[in-house]
Amino acid sequence: MAARLHCQRPMFDAIGSQLERYLDLLSVRQKLVSSNIANADTPGYKTKDIDFHFEFMSQVADARPQVIEPEGLTVKNDGNNVSLDREARLLAENAMRFNFASSLLRSHIRVLRSAIQEGRNG
Amino acid sequence: MSLFSVLSVSASGMAAQRTRAQLLVENMANAETTRTPEGGPYRRKDAVFASEPQSSPFSSVFQRELGPVATGVRVAEVVQDTREPEKRYLPGHPDADADGYVSFPRLNPAEEMVDLMGAARGYQANVAAMSAIKDMIHRSIELLR
Repeated sequence: MAARLHCQRPMFDAIGSQLERYLDLLSVRQKLVSSNIANADTPGYKTKDIDFHFEFMSQVADARPQVIEPEGLTVKNDGNNVSLDREARLLAENAMRFNFASSLLRSHIRVLRSAIQEGRNG
Repeated sequence: MSLFSVLSVSASGMAAQRTRAQLLVENMANAETTRTPEGGPYRRKDAVFASEPQSSPFSSVFQRELGPVATGVRVAEVVQDTREPEKRYLPGHPDADADGYVSFPRLNPAEEMVDLMGAARGYQANVAAMSAIKDMIHRSIELLR
């Protein structure tokens, strides 16, 4: 998020900034998944999602992700098309991806930090 | 951190499902109630959900910067069943009418049970979402250590 608010001077190099954007997109997606789960019984509510692959590949760092309504889901009698199974899968998948990416970013930060500290000692 | 606003989305889902479960249990408890303060037999109640954008005054400006607004849920209204009560022939009953018929609530315990299971499952799904979000927030905080 910091990268998007102050995108003139990123704190990290290319890999760090990409990871940051990845985490950012994952949290946006998780937000939509939670909204879908909360509205699983709301009449007329349509499932919301982002085109994850497209968003990550697009290089525009400060663009807002486009919310889409995925098609091909079964619409219930009340006009709601939330599939709890789909949302549960996405919830778990996003959490795992986030875990993985945050571990990567953490080790990235550790490298930065050790560079700073070693410089001070020497 | 937009993740914090997601917690309130899941919380709104939990609150809505809990209200619904409360009404369903109330319906089952009153399956045979023939007297109410409004007069007549008990009438089945149900919750109507409506989606609602979640934003606290503090974070509304911040959230505008952070992409799509999270959509929570709320109980828009509680509706009462308007169907005619079920008439049973019980001449000895104190609430029987002139012809010996008693008005009982028109509700089906099996239907209530199925709805209750749906509410419980919805509640569980919201709890799972909340713990996943909590885990993500925790991971983000660990980046600082």
